[in-house]
Amino acid sequence: MTNHLDDMQYFLANAWWLALGVAVLLYIALDGADLGAGIFGLFVGDHEERGAIMAAMAGTWDANETWLIVAGGILFGTFPFVYGSAFHYLMVPLAFVLWGVMARAVTLEFRHLASAKWQCFGDWVFGISSLVVTFFGGMCVGASLQGFKLTHVEGQVPHFAGSAFDFVSAFSIWTGIAAVVAVLLSGVLFVRARFEKDEPIRQDAARWTATIFWLAIGSVVITLVWSLFKFDWAREKWLGHFFWIWAIFGILALVCIDKVRRATLRDDDVSAVLWYCGALLIMGLSMLITLHPWLVPHTWSIRDGASPQVSLITFTMTMGGFLPVMVMYNWYQIWVFRARISKLVSHAH
Amino acid sequence: MPPDTLSTLISRIDFALISSVHILFPPLTIGLAIILFVSEALWVKTQDERWYRLCRFFEKLFIVNFGAGVATGVTMEMAFGILYGPFSQAAGPFFGQVLGYETITAFMYEAGFIGLMIFGWGKISRKMHLFATFNVALSSTLSAMWILVANSWMQTPTGVEFKDGIFEVTNWLAALFNPNVFAAFPHMLLAAVELSLTFVVAVCAWFVLKRRNVDLFLRPLKYALVALAVVAAVQVYMGDVLGENVLDNKPAALAAMEGQYDTYDKDGNVNNAWNIIGWPNKEGTGLAWSIKIPHALSLIETKTWNGAVEGLNSFPKDEQPPVVLPFYSFRVMAAIGGALLLLGLWGCWLRYRGQLTERLASQQRLFLMACTAAVALPYIAVIAGWWTREIGRQPWIVYGMMTVKDGMSHMSTALATFWLIGFAVFETAVVLGTIWFLLKVCRMGPDLTSPVAGEGHEHLGELDLPEAGKADHPEYVRPI
Repeated sequence: MTNHLDDMQYFLANAWWLALGVAVLLYIALDGADLGAGIFGLFVGDHEERGAIMAAMAGTWDANETWLIVAGGILFGTFPFVYGSAFHYLMVPLAFVLWGVMARAVTLEFRHLASAKWQCFGDWVFGISSLVVTFFGGMCVGASLQGFKLTHVEGQVPHFAGSAFDFVSAFSIWTGIAAVVAVLLSGVLFVRARFEKDEPIRQDAARWTATIFWLAIGSVVITLVWSLFKFDWAREKWLGHFFWIWAIFGILALVCIDKVRRATLRDDDVSAVLWYCGALLIMGLSMLITLHPWLVPHTWSIRDGASPQVSLITFTMTMGGFLPVMVMYNWYQIWVFRARISKLVSHAH
Repeated sequence: MPPDTLSTLISRIDFALISSVHILFPPLTIGLAIILFVSEALWVKTQDERWYRLCRFFEKLFIVNFGAGVATGVTMEMAFGILYGPFSQAAGPFFGQVLGYETITAFMYEAGFIGLMIFGWGKISRKMHLFATFNVALSSTLSAMWILVANSWMQTPTGVEFKDGIFEVTNWLAALFNPNVFAAFPHMLLAAVELSLTFVVAVCAWFVLKRRNVDLFLRPLKYALVALAVVAAVQVYMGDVLGENVLDNKPAALAAMEGQYDTYDKDGNVNNAWNIIGWPNKEGTGLAWSIKIPHALSLIETKTWNGAVEGLNSFPKDEQPPVVLPFYSFRVMAAIGGALLLLGLWGCWLRYRGQLTERLASQQRLFLMACTAAVALPYIAVIAGWWTREIGRQPWIVYGMMTVKDGMSHMSTALATFWLIGFAVFETAVVLGTIWFLLKVCRMGPDLTSPVAGEGHEHLGELDLPEAGKADHPEYVRPI
């Protein structure tokens, strides 16, 4: 199938693709911290402390998770052909992600109402489901980078043509593990930033930081080298004519990572979180640009995956009308809670 | 059964499970948000503290329900692509776009203001908080509108052309304002309000029955009963409007709902009788037996004594929806609609007779027990209504244009079973957890002692001291 987009539509499809990428990155940056803190909670022995970790994210987790829904909405609305085939391909790992999302939502929202015994059980479920969401979410990313088989029938939209377990490979298992490490770093930084400095839980998190930090660096390096050997589209970009662009991205990412390290060493926790997000954003953007013009490498290009109905009107309505309003009230919400000081343990709605 | 049909059946049941469980939660979010807004507005206007206490109490129930709605809703959005990949691809240019709008204009909007509504007490001014509650109600209503636009388009797909396996939108306005949505959206919105009013009635009646906080719960009980009587009556009318809409646009679905197989009988007379109950014969060509009221069908559907209602046998066999499920789920829904109307009228009658005063109300045990038990009814009605609607559309996924079979992702039987079992376990856990905690919040009762939230900014910079006896617990304070 060839998709006949005119120049304007192709430009808009690219803009939507960028918006999709940004929504996914925001999700990873924001909910990553919640997921990581949840996994970290598995190693926290004290009941009250686990409760405090969950209370620390109670006000924000649903807003953070909303970015996943926004990404899903953009994918369905603007790239329906990709949505319908990629989700079919990722049927099995997504099932685990969804079960995890459900379990997390319920154990978090209901914790303050549960009895102590159920709270212990719920905390355990929360930690495990955070781990499951992260691992299978990471597997989905790795599996998408590998691409998948499509049908090619004249006059029909290409459907997914492989089998349900095509997503399993050494690489996708690795990206699952790497996601757990990355998210754990994010979670530890989050815990450090949310608790008073002399709290035992913050000090535990601080002790973890150095180890996880180097593990994360190692994971990134392994992923990059592996991608370089495995994917021709990555090789062409990174070693091609414009290699210096990626060199600049790499240096910027290294600067951010170094800043994270320095900030954690001098206990400046908020800076550490911000530099971590900076590093994530730079690496994410460079990965997005590496992928271009593919949405799913060798499977769906932006042009083929986009809805033929992409139009300036719908794009302007969303980006010009709804998005500024959305940002405005989100900003107001954050502003209201800017100086919230509370006894987090006693969090109750 | 050949494996292909079996896996198709299981994966259909799987989607039915995911959507049936999800629809349990949003109606209460929508309706209760409106009710919360009203009671908060009464508090701001009259300064009567009782409205504030009620607000905070029902807000706790609201949050439990909202959490479950988000948990099952994320699944719902992803399930289209996973279980109905080819449909999502074909319908994406319209259907996906509309769902995308729902995410951006309603879901994000709601998430933002819900944070303010829950955690904003005492941090923002009373009027600002009221505004937040208003926006939660508005955004959840908007969300319902988008979803109903998308779903109604599947029932009456106007404004599109099915070309090369894609639904190309030729006329956005015609697709958005498709014929079905004008009846379906008000019907669903009223259902949400009716469900929430019944919920409020049930909770208040339980407290009055137990003689707990009667002074607090009696007034909303009386208000909600009157509102229920009105809303239930309007809903009966709206249901009839939707019925006629279905007759005009999806005659096969209406025929299945009414068990109408033949438009005319053997002698050429119009089949005008309404089947109260019945069962189809083995061949599926007519009802084996039924109890019927002559002329009632023509009266209900065409508003004439002898108007013809097209029967199922005028449609090719492979375009007929199943009969038993829509037939009975429709009857269950309609019966519950009537029962709720009667409950509301009963309440109005008792009130008129002066039986619902603080002194006397708790003695109306039968009435109060009926009110409390009635909470299950609107939930059953909502599910029955959606089953009628969705099964009545079979075998089509987009009415008259694409069949469900063509829209499904291919799954092996083993995989479909794995999905079904997994989702059954998790969704059951969510439902049971929600019910359990709703009951627990009710058992704990309203908080009558905390200071009433003021005009904002009062807690900024203030540290709560540990309560006596809990001083050994660590204090966790977020740095500014």
